[in-house]
Amino acid sequence: MDWQSLLLTIRLSAIVAAILFVIALPVAYWITYSRWRWKFLVEAAVGLPIVLPPTVLGFYLLIALGARSPLGHFWQSITGHTLAFTFQGLVIGSIIYSLPFAVQPFAASFAAVDSRLIAASATLGASKLRTFREIILPLSKPGLVAGIALSFAHTMGEFGVVLMVGGNIPGVTRTVSIEVYDQVQALNYSAASITALILLGISFSLLSLVYALNRRVFAVWLWK
Amino acid sequence: MAVEMRDFAPNRAIESSAHAASGILSVQIRKRFDTTEHGFELDVATELPPGITIVFGPSGAGKTTLLECIAGLLTPNNGRVAIENRIFFDRSLGVDVQVHKRKIGYVFQDLALFPHLTVQQNIEYGLRELNAALRVEKTSTILDSFRISSLRDRKPSQISGGERQRVALARSLVTDPCLLLLDEPLAALDGVTKTKIVEDLRIWNAAHCIPILYVTHSREEVLALGDRVLMLEAGKIIAQGPTREVI
Repeated sequence: MDWQSLLLTIRLSAIVAAILFVIALPVAYWITYSRWRWKFLVEAAVGLPIVLPPTVLGFYLLIALGARSPLGHFWQSITGHTLAFTFQGLVIGSIIYSLPFAVQPFAASFAAVDSRLIAASATLGASKLRTFREIILPLSKPGLVAGIALSFAHTMGEFGVVLMVGGNIPGVTRTVSIEVYDQVQALNYSAASITALILLGISFSLLSLVYALNRRVFAVWLWK
Repeated sequence: MAVEMRDFAPNRAIESSAHAASGILSVQIRKRFDTTEHGFELDVATELPPGITIVFGPSGAGKTTLLECIAGLLTPNNGRVAIENRIFFDRSLGVDVQVHKRKIGYVFQDLALFPHLTVQQNIEYGLRELNAALRVEKTSTILDSFRISSLRDRKPSQISGGERQRVALARSLVTDPCLLLLDEPLAALDGVTKTKIVEDLRIWNAAHCIPILYVTHSREEVLALGDRVLMLEAGKIIAQGPTREVI
């Protein structure tokens, strides 16, 4: 078992989940409450990573992060190196890849908040921002935790995007899923089984948490 | 369900929070919905003085729509909503004051108490602009006035229907609104509880003297509660005036 790749994967997943929490909140809020007639196009774009083959998404990300793209060029002018095949590039790719896994549970939990509570908050003098902070967010806790857990778990298990954007550099971009692939390629099945079992255990625990949050009793308990 | 009116002594705690009386509510609005098969149009023009006005009519008459247009929760297609010189909505002037800036109290049919907040936190919610000392004082006063002080640390799910009704009313009144909108707030209560809450409301309004629109489809409530009646049917006013004359 390569503990370096496990720690790197956990670090990557934690950073991505934290950044996604900040990015996905306003996106989910807009998707839930916007009345823009073309909103479905934004929803489809956010949900693309769910249906798109990871290699296709990884290919476009590789182009977008390369030295010829505006982002890649800007990054290179600051740091002296491109984003592709770096940990930072991996973070950006993972954020886009896991975006729907944060946005959709967030949006679903916002939509489940009784619209009368939002109206009551407004009639009591609260602005939209205050209503979001003090009414919508606290009542959406189970969905928020589910979104964070899902984006963490999804980042842990990603393979295609990581391989395309990050390559396989030990200690920099080599995640657990790539390590399992390497071990199988080397016919080292015993090492692969241990690594796979650890990934399975972590993923199962996180999904158990998500499903537990959907149980009413646990959801009520979280409010207290 | 019968509603009795009883004599009562003015409640000093409620009186003590009185402020300047509000003026006449002027409403001329037209709101059209094309979502139903034949569409629905609310077309109302009236002036309502301070005091309780019952908005009476069958289901689908447009009672809640009228309240939501006044509160700003719905935007009328045309018209004007104002209290004296304070304009909330005027299509021709391009004025549409945001809901949270209108200072209009609204008690919803399902009360809409915040389930994750305690009774005290629910009542304090509308007092955010006040300093902490004044906020605590006003909250304690209204909790005492509505005899719900003992419930201050409980969540809405831990109190009875009548108590929730009182909390919802207290939460709206504590903000000193210039207008109060009540959408069938007592529909689910028994006669005795309903009478007590109405007494509290009358005492409060004797001191504050603001226009109160009370929606109901119960004829008994109309006779027991209101000084004036506004009868709606299919989105139009079919009668209005003093209760005894109209009913």
